[in-house]
Amino acid sequence: MDLLGNLALGFGVALQGINLLYAFFGVLLGTLIGVLPGIGPVATIAMLLPVTFTLPPVSALIMLAGIYYGAQYGGSTTAILVNLPGESSSVVTTLDGYQMARQGRAGPALGIAAIGSFIAGTFATFLIALAAPPLADVALKFGPAEYFSLMVLGLIAATVLAHGSLIKAIAMVVLGLLLGLVGTDVNSGVARFNFAIPELSDGIGFVTVAMGMFGIAEIVANLDTAEKREVFTAKLTHLLPTAKDFKDSAGAITRGTLLGSALGILPGGGALLASFAAYTLEKKAAKDASRFGKGDIRGVAGPESANNAGAQTSFIPLLTLGIPSNAVMALMIGAMMIQGIAPGPQVMTEKPDLFWGMIASMWVGNLMLVILNLPMIGLWIKLLTVPYRLLYPAILLFCCIGVYSVNNSTFDIFLMVGFAVLGYVCVKLACEPAPLILGFILGPMMEENLRRALLLSRGNPMTFLEKPISATLLAIAALLLLVVVAPAVRQKREEAFQE
Amino acid sequence: MKSLPAASRRLAGIAACAAAMLLASAPGAAIAQGYPTKPIRFVVPFPPGGATDIITRTVAQKLSEQLGQPVVVDNKPGAGGAIGSDLVAKAAPDGYTILMATTSTHSIGPALNARLPYNPERDFAPVSLVATSPNLLVVTPAIPVNNLREFIAYARAHPGQLNFASSGTGTIVHLSGELFKRMAGLDMVHVPYKGTALAVPDLINGQVTMIFDNIVSAMPQVKSGKVKVLAITSAKRSSLVPDVPTMAEAGLPGYTSDTYFGVFAPAGTPKEIVDRLSREIARAVNAPEVRDRLAAQGAEAVGGPPAELAAAVRGDAEKWGRVIREAGVKVE
Repeated sequence: MDLLGNLALGFGVALQGINLLYAFFGVLLGTLIGVLPGIGPVATIAMLLPVTFTLPPVSALIMLAGIYYGAQYGGSTTAILVNLPGESSSVVTTLDGYQMARQGRAGPALGIAAIGSFIAGTFATFLIALAAPPLADVALKFGPAEYFSLMVLGLIAATVLAHGSLIKAIAMVVLGLLLGLVGTDVNSGVARFNFAIPELSDGIGFVTVAMGMFGIAEIVANLDTAEKREVFTAKLTHLLPTAKDFKDSAGAITRGTLLGSALGILPGGGALLASFAAYTLEKKAAKDASRFGKGDIRGVAGPESANNAGAQTSFIPLLTLGIPSNAVMALMIGAMMIQGIAPGPQVMTEKPDLFWGMIASMWVGNLMLVILNLPMIGLWIKLLTVPYRLLYPAILLFCCIGVYSVNNSTFDIFLMVGFAVLGYVCVKLACEPAPLILGFILGPMMEENLRRALLLSRGNPMTFLEKPISATLLAIAALLLLVVVAPAVRQKREEAFQE
Repeated sequence: MKSLPAASRRLAGIAACAAAMLLASAPGAAIAQGYPTKPIRFVVPFPPGGATDIITRTVAQKLSEQLGQPVVVDNKPGAGGAIGSDLVAKAAPDGYTILMATTSTHSIGPALNARLPYNPERDFAPVSLVATSPNLLVVTPAIPVNNLREFIAYARAHPGQLNFASSGTGTIVHLSGELFKRMAGLDMVHVPYKGTALAVPDLINGQVTMIFDNIVSAMPQVKSGKVKVLAITSAKRSSLVPDVPTMAEAGLPGYTSDTYFGVFAPAGTPKEIVDRLSREIARAVNAPEVRDRLAAQGAEAVGGPPAELAAAVRGDAEKWGRVIREAGVKVE
């Protein structure tokens, strides 16, 4: 099938009434949680996972994907209006967006964020449609040896590209790896680190870890800081950016889109890194960088386009290889497995309606988001006035219900509380939970594939170097490792993230 | 009570005891007559969406209609079905908690793991068989074979070079492979995956040579030409895939490997209740719509008296226990 035929198939699926409904529900919920500080797409998707049991696979994935990129839109709204980044990926948007709002230019800032995101989303959607098939062809050549090497690369890339302290990132990855070892070993059937607790013999559930580390820990951490809100709704007069605004930000949107699309594909990269990188790039590219941080529209347009493009292209490794590039994608894998779909290259050929339907729905969802975000900003501001003392208990309750419903097990709820404590300690120590999740997901897969590859090669470790794809991946990983270790580069890296 | 003389107090105590004993030993028939008077909890020791879950839900729905009480399916997955099975083993033996057990929970599990918290014969009262489900022997298209005899000849010509995939160490898919190796006299390496679905890409690209996979998940791959099916592991051909020969027909007489699905109640459940449930389940699985829905899961509906289920459990425990010992399969 050609590209147009595939897209036609995809839009045929995406435009079905039920799928439109779930896409709308997804982006609406995504925008909502994006607007609410402290509640991210990971916790939301984790909470909704059990609900997807009963949905048709296409509808379930369309809804979950909608939540993810919807959150990228919603996060910018509060970042601009009240200097509260709803999402970590919209942290940089606060720098110039909030300044624009204080100057009474909140309308153009919100407008350019939505329009830039839409352009980026459209570009990234077509990039997935174009580039995903050739990637999937390569993917069938992936056996256990290639997967192992890819995961080595992913883990190393994650630590190189993560922001903040390198040592802490590595520590969190290792902790994640250790947690991933709990449970029955696939190769030998031996139950490891389960302390004779039968509930642990299948390993620790991903939803349990994610809800504890992200959801509950974030709520507890947020309670540390007193509520302080300042709303600039009064100054929201005109929404649309002027012609000059468009002219100023055209370049930023283009660069942000390209950068975001590229970084989104990398494991460990995704939308968060894309927005930071785009801001740095805009500052470097601008002839006059003095206005950055004081309300430059390019400082909103670039990162906002980048985070949306990155959110979109991070579906490429998921859909074509079955490999998660971030925690949200890891949850998407969980959602696919629940539906009996083994994520991987065969998804595209065996379930073309699901694959292309999801891609088409991304564009449809982006269109919905523009429509949602421009005229309904006033409504989002209202939502911010819900007091946290009502909001947080409700979230806690949903977390408990969500975790219990995975295995109908009360043990999992206690386990989640344990992870919440761990998550809170991590927040206090300024350790990001994301690398832990990455290690938790990739670690067991890496071990499994390592041992499987060695079983198949009858114990010959050269198998990883004899296979060209595997050897290439390992070489890239070695190169990246060199970059981390080289002191000069490390210094530069730290400088870059200081900004 | 304080004003009563000591003697009459003792007498009252004896009377109360007698009454309690009488109540406790009240004939099961009296209890069974009204049975069921409240909803029945039907425990599935596996997650929702799998074959065991779908089979249980199909039967539970029919049972609800027949008994006039809701039969509520309760998924209690974990530890290869041991968590849900143990829960039913320790439940009140009143007929209101029953279990959908399988070959892995009641025949293979006990043979594989000495520390299992329950004993399939001591802790359970067998009620009825529900269904049996065979597997298909599928091979990669990367090797030049078209039937089982050619495959066995090819495998003998390449000792130690071929691999068979499974859904994990100690699963029926693994043991089916071990049994096949022994009966056909082959030397192949076992490569476990987390579920057969994850092994399929490696089967397609030839990294692994063969797997025993269930009909429902294997047939789409067979139809698209990505893998080849050589035989079915049941004693008779399946109506779902009538063209696929049995292992015996294809050249390996005596080889069968089925998963059974059977209902158990906790040990001590009144015989009248067990018999009633057994009859109702036999009726339910013989209903045409139930047979059809089970067939769609690759399973053949079988209802039968408790003794038949007990025999199946013991037979499979002996058969797989021998394979486990001879192949030296260990999980601890």
